[in-house]
Amino acid sequence: MSKSLVPSVCPYCAAGCGFYITVEKDKATGIEYMLDHPASEGALCSKGNAALEIIYSEDRLRHPLVRKGEGWAKLSWEEALDLVARRLSRIIEQSGPESVGFLSSSKCTNEENYLVQKLARCLGSPNVDNCARLCHAPTVVGLNMTVGAAAMTNPIPDLANSRCIFIIGSNLAENHPILSRWIHRAKDSGAVVIVADPRLTHTAWLADIFLQIKPGTDVALLNGMAHVVVNEGLTNGEFISKRTRGYSDFAESLRDYAPQKASEIAGIPAGDIVRAARAYAISPASSIVYSMGITQHSTGTSNVVAISNLALITGHIGRPGAGIFPLRGQNNVQGACDMGALAEFYPGYRRAEDPETLELFSLAWGTAGLPAGPGLTSTEMMDGILEGKVRALYIVGEDPANSDSHSNRIRDALESLEFLAVQDIFPTATAQLADVVLPAAAWAEKEGTFTSTERRVQWTERAVSPPGEARSDQEIICSLAAKLGLGLQFKYPDAASVLFEINRLVPAYAGITRERLGSCGLVWPCPSSEHPGTPILHAQGFKFEDGRGYLVPVKYQPAAEEVSREYPLLLTTGRVAVHHNAGSMTRRSPSLMEREPELFIEINPADAVELKVANGDEVTVESARGRTAAKARLTERVKRGVVFMPFHFPGTNLLTTDARDPHAKIPQFNVAACRIARRD
Amino acid sequence: MPVYVDISRCIGCRSCEVACQRVHEGRGHVNVHYAGDHAAVPVFCHHCQEAMCAKACYTSALYKDGERTAFAVDKCTGCGLCRLACPFGVVWTDKLAHKCDLCSPRETPTCILTCPANALTTDYESASRRARARAAMMVAHGGRR
Amino acid sequence: MIKVDPALCIGCLACSNVCPSKNIVRDDTIEKRTISWKKCGEECDLCVEFCPARVLTLVAESEETAIAFELVACRICGTRYATEPMLRRIEASLPEALQKDSSGLAWIWVCPVCRRNIEAERATREMVLGRSRSVMGDRDR
Repeated sequence: MSKSLVPSVCPYCAAGCGFYITVEKDKATGIEYMLDHPASEGALCSKGNAALEIIYSEDRLRHPLVRKGEGWAKLSWEEALDLVARRLSRIIEQSGPESVGFLSSSKCTNEENYLVQKLARCLGSPNVDNCARLCHAPTVVGLNMTVGAAAMTNPIPDLANSRCIFIIGSNLAENHPILSRWIHRAKDSGAVVIVADPRLTHTAWLADIFLQIKPGTDVALLNGMAHVVVNEGLTNGEFISKRTRGYSDFAESLRDYAPQKASEIAGIPAGDIVRAARAYAISPASSIVYSMGITQHSTGTSNVVAISNLALITGHIGRPGAGIFPLRGQNNVQGACDMGALAEFYPGYRRAEDPETLELFSLAWGTAGLPAGPGLTSTEMMDGILEGKVRALYIVGEDPANSDSHSNRIRDALESLEFLAVQDIFPTATAQLADVVLPAAAWAEKEGTFTSTERRVQWTERAVSPPGEARSDQEIICSLAAKLGLGLQFKYPDAASVLFEINRLVPAYAGITRERLGSCGLVWPCPSSEHPGTPILHAQGFKFEDGRGYLVPVKYQPAAEEVSREYPLLLTTGRVAVHHNAGSMTRRSPSLMEREPELFIEINPADAVELKVANGDEVTVESARGRTAAKARLTERVKRGVVFMPFHFPGTNLLTTDARDPHAKIPQFNVAACRIARRD
Repeated sequence: MPVYVDISRCIGCRSCEVACQRVHEGRGHVNVHYAGDHAAVPVFCHHCQEAMCAKACYTSALYKDGERTAFAVDKCTGCGLCRLACPFGVVWTDKLAHKCDLCSPRETPTCILTCPANALTTDYESASRRARARAAMMVAHGGRR
Repeated sequence: MIKVDPALCIGCLACSNVCPSKNIVRDDTIEKRTISWKKCGEECDLCVEFCPARVLTLVAESEETAIAFELVACRICGTRYATEPMLRRIEASLPEALQKDSSGLAWIWVCPVCRRNIEAERATREMVLGRSRSVMGDRDR
């Protein structure tokens, strides 16, 4: 029996670990580790090891389905695509293309994301977005503004070269586990690790200095640290004068953030803020690693800018061991953003309102009437539905019914939609609300490129055939486009031909051709076919005309929801090691479910005593938006007054608020007020 | 030689557990234990020199093969004595016995290859060196890291 | 027919596992294990051969027998995890010095889950102390 090893990229997080799928007779029978992978050295976390369980899950969607009464009826592909095309066309005819929205998938390939935004825009709709809106939108907005590029500035292994690693709002030990091997190497060489998080997470085990801050107070902490750096003369004067703008206004703005003041707001000792600031500034090469704890706030963009400010005034950017590391979540969220599946950007981060952008793509796509952006973001699309402005949604590989905050409102919106089409691999909660469901191929059943958080673009081979009548997302989008009269613009024999088009339209991907994508992929920007790729960004200058980055003063603002007498506990949300995001994949993986089978809430034991809740009790958690049941886990990991719930199980987002960051439109998942009662 | 754990590196991600289970058809032999909120460690077979599981086994299904405590599944009757004989509770029985076999005949145990934190090794020298360096550091810092 | 010497049966799982014809039935509840030897056509003698305690013989005529064992409770967590004769056999096979661990615990009378927990705690003791001191300090929480 012939066995083949097919190279693949893990479908879970954005670390982009590679591994081989063992294939025998068109069946994926095992995994072999890819020992020469640059980021992982062959390692693979618990989710990656369980990845094959998704492929053969009983729940896989196999046939196109249309809603019929209380249930579903099977359709042929012809019928299904005709139906979708007809309904979409009718709505576009009646109320214009702005009344239709598209959600592209951060789990789909670059080629597929490129096609979804192309379809939306060729139809005249500016409303295309992806789930980056719920996760790193503040990074996209904030870092584009301050340093001209919204991506991790250094490669993952480069963390081993850092001598001070400041991890804020990231539980990488559970969510990006392979980063820890590089951090351990840095520590072996004497690096200092600082961790700021409201919880004593597994990541905090790596810390030399642990800052257990109150949720939502990151700007106070970061400004407090910047205050120390400025006032103790620890700034990098040469870097500031040669590579930045706006220092004097920025330094002035820090007046109100003396360590004592920052300490009062953040709830940690002033001395710790001073120590952390000094260590970060003095070390010869320092890195800041951050994720959802920074972005998922109504002040998310300010949080990101505050991080950027700290890196700029100390000159810790643009060289080995020194950089800003936003840890992206989904396996291809970086790519989805690079491909312009965003309301405010066309491919390559060209601004959607810029007439030059529209001209360029009109020419490239052979179509007139491309819509000027910015379109509605995914969060605003939900508003639009409730206001009657958006009548149809086409959702690819996303589960807003579980992933968005304030689930009740989202479900109301999706239920009230005139037409909802969902393209996915599983019957998610969102698919259950659809009019038409189209079965898609999983990552191992198609080919294309994925871009990891370190900007590494990797080609993944098709290992096995999809089940039933499921097709690759590329095939589905192109067939649908043909039904909508766009057949000419969507004629692609394979994924490589889409990549070829991307090479010509996205400058950073220009040299990332199919032929050059061997075993390790290529790191963008890669502007030509001789270019080796760019592991470290901003080495020569920032992506602005004069090459200078911006120092932008940010003020601390309290989170959009605070505790009250009615809701006295502060709920913060996050993830655990064996699950991934809204759980549509990991909750269908037996080996992961056996390890974390249900929704729980972490409660400080002293709070639990007052609530008369014992470890393991079933409790009801309630906020102003809804209520859900959870199992109590008593732990000192959270401070008094703070509780934590993972969002992998439906229920957590019934509680979260939809207060948003005004610039990035991201909901505030990480701060909500709640109360707990024991269920008897 | 068993697999050694550098406890300072374990991040409690349970990848070793899932990987071991995957390569052994659903019956894994690693268990990650959490010590309160401050540490985690996978517990698995020590491949003891004086293997008590092998002593208890009356069919010689469990036996010493050099440094490794090996298991010949075709001799196992599933009696359950080995599970009770192991002082560390790392022999499992589920119809038949199973325990860490160092993934033989593969060259390197799967847990070592998969560990994201690079915390596992069969190299006694390096594991011992790291442990002692850490202990020296602790002592010098009066019990703090 | 299978004849059992009830005084010597240790209540293990071997005979019920190896019988190809399901003539030996084992019923495990949380607190008790019952092994029943039913009518047997004597097609083989696997049970006789593989009984660790050599308590089975094949005879022409015999009653159907059943023996119940109360499962021993773990000295730490109380979970029932083994029959007493099996534990006694383990005890008897080890020199006395090995029957207690370094802290004096008679580990044979502790269940496998607790044994793993103890091992894990022993291994992480220093690490937990070091981390909790350095990370939490003497601060009030």
